[in-house]
Amino acid sequence: MISTALRASTAAALCLAASSAFAVEKADVLNTYADIAAAKYDDSLLTAKILQAAVDALIATPSAETLQAARDAWFAARVPYQQSEVFRFGNAIVDDWEGKVNAWPLDEGLIDYVDASYGGATDENAFAALNVVANPTFTLSGKTIDTSDITPALLEGDLHEADGVEANVATGYHAVEFLLWGQDLNGTEHGAGNRSWTDYATGADCTNGNCERRGDYLKAATDLLVSDLEWMAAQWTAKGDARSTLLSDEDAGISAILTGMGSLSYGETAGERMRLGVMLNDPEEEHSCFADNTHNDHYYDGLGVQNVYLGQYVRVDGTLISGPSVSDLVSAENAALDLEVRGKLSTTMRALGQIKTAAESGFSYDQMLAAGNAKGEALIMSGVNGLIDQTRSFERAIVALDLNNVAIEGSDSLDNPNAVFQ
Amino acid sequence: MWKSYTLALSLALSAPSLMAAPLAPEITTSQIQPAFAALAQRADSLAHRTTTHCLSDPAQMTQAYHDAFDAWIAASHWRFGPTETNTRGFSLAFWPDNRGKTPNAVRALLAKATPETLKPANFADQSVAAKGFYALDFLLFDVDLQGKVPSQNRCDLAQAITHDIARIAAILNTEWQHEFASLMTAPSARYATAAEATQELFKALTTGLQLNDDLRLGRPLGTFDRPRPKRAEAYRSERSLRHLMVSLENLHLLALALAVEAPEVRSTLDRQFYRVISRAARLDDPTLAGVSDPQKRLRIEAVKQGIQDLRSTVATQLGPHLGVSAGFNSLDGD
Repeated sequence: MISTALRASTAAALCLAASSAFAVEKADVLNTYADIAAAKYDDSLLTAKILQAAVDALIATPSAETLQAARDAWFAARVPYQQSEVFRFGNAIVDDWEGKVNAWPLDEGLIDYVDASYGGATDENAFAALNVVANPTFTLSGKTIDTSDITPALLEGDLHEADGVEANVATGYHAVEFLLWGQDLNGTEHGAGNRSWTDYATGADCTNGNCERRGDYLKAATDLLVSDLEWMAAQWTAKGDARSTLLSDEDAGISAILTGMGSLSYGETAGERMRLGVMLNDPEEEHSCFADNTHNDHYYDGLGVQNVYLGQYVRVDGTLISGPSVSDLVSAENAALDLEVRGKLSTTMRALGQIKTAAESGFSYDQMLAAGNAKGEALIMSGVNGLIDQTRSFERAIVALDLNNVAIEGSDSLDNPNAVFQ
Repeated sequence: MWKSYTLALSLALSAPSLMAAPLAPEITTSQIQPAFAALAQRADSLAHRTTTHCLSDPAQMTQAYHDAFDAWIAASHWRFGPTETNTRGFSLAFWPDNRGKTPNAVRALLAKATPETLKPANFADQSVAAKGFYALDFLLFDVDLQGKVPSQNRCDLAQAITHDIARIAAILNTEWQHEFASLMTAPSARYATAAEATQELFKALTTGLQLNDDLRLGRPLGTFDRPRPKRAEAYRSERSLRHLMVSLENLHLLALALAVEAPEVRSTLDRQFYRVISRAARLDDPTLAGVSDPQKRLRIEAVKQGIQDLRSTVATQLGPHLGVSAGFNSLDGD
């Protein structure tokens, strides 16, 4: 606590000194942000390619070892990707694309076999238990869909969000996660999904049927993930669309940064992903419910918000990307407010870190969600409260930087309905 | 109380607000506190009626249900402070339920709840999907459930739910009469300036309108080819349209109070609210089932358009007048 405060105040003092010597240019802040985005998507792509190679190895030589290697690669791939989620809200190009790679929650029965307790079709989703792996054809709105070849085009064209239902998630990290782990049937007890490598075995060793089609699905979904990430990484290069849109209007660009930070912190992570699970006591509400990686999802989302504000990101190879930041801009206007924001970001990271360390040492996130588990609820709610509290300070930063009336794409609440501000 | 120097000290506040009197104290006493007092009182009656009449004369309980639910909708746009503490707001109102959690949770409790589970202290820890007004809507009005569950079981669970509603409503009322009211009327860490308190109220208006637009109407409307009538709010007890009306009437009052220093904006808002509320009143479609009928659907879409016009006026005229923006809300995200 003391050391955090000291570090923060020293940093604030430095920023103050710096800002009086040479003013921070908004364009430089935007460039740092775009550089960090480029690095995060590049890292996401790099780690997804490692996952792709591991998936190919699993399919070519199914074994407990190759399955475990694919799972390890999936875990590693999530680290940079989750840190990139802060770019979603505020950058329309990211938000429009994101559903392809990180859609959640999903009705996994669309993809593969599920336990009897899962149930069948629901009021909301007629395809909740479709099981494409087992069915070479199905009928959608009167039209017959041929699924005899499971390809990336089939997944993204016909299956993803089939029938207009968002829970029909056919692509992305969580579809791959389900195919690597299977359903987590432990409820709010310790333990993740426990799919056997024999679900990918050939010939008589194959369990649960259709092993080859299951492998085809896993391969198609992983290949699609890689190509989707390739596309997004290209948007942030020197001539990429995301970067040039961001740089085209400085105030809107700075506003987009803060929008991403606030919307991800409050509505998305604190609300949709964390508090809802606690309130429903439902392990299906875990963000990575098959792999039990939810503690890391939240932690790296929080870290992404913090490193965008501070203008510092450590790449997967250890390279530090850093430069002029929103923190510098806020500090130049109001040093105390910058200190407040940094302090709250640190408080949140400590809370999310406590969830992560507890989960890694044996008290898993699904156990924290159990009804009446006061310790788990307290851990999760301290993360929620930190995220909500830091959002209030982001609102103050928006006022301090005089961005109140700046319209941005991609946020329901900061965006005005008919975009007439100027 | 807010003093003018706190305004002068505040950050980058635009000129109009500097001249205006703080709005939060007045709105707190004239709108927020009465709304939560009414909710507490009606929730208490509902719990009583359920205990005394669920088996003998259910119509009496049903009337109390409608009255209490009205009172919640009339207070529901004050979704900050006391209602956002712990899980209170969600414990009263878990909606939208886009993964069908409430029917499952209620069925599970009907099948295996023991007197021990239903004791107030234990019931408080239940999943929010099994609590509050929307669980009652399913428990008391779902057609498939009728006749399949012994009345005694149904009434035991109804009692547990309504007592939990009354317990939470009483806490909300107490906090709004005391601690939280003082936060709205003087500087604190929560609201450092009058502008921050005003922004909170402005957000209540923008979020309330967004909820009516995107959720109350947007969800059942779906698309023209694929309307979703089963997504209408509380359709089992035929309250979908009623919620829209009650909400708009209360947001109307809030908008007028926020625009008190801007006569032109105020009269535009007044006219737009009047128009959209009249349109909604003429729908004559309690469950919004008309989303599936091309003719009726057009009229529902016209109401939605009216709400979008209001959102535009609020964002482009009222916000700049108050010198505040919509900030972030819980509907951000997916």
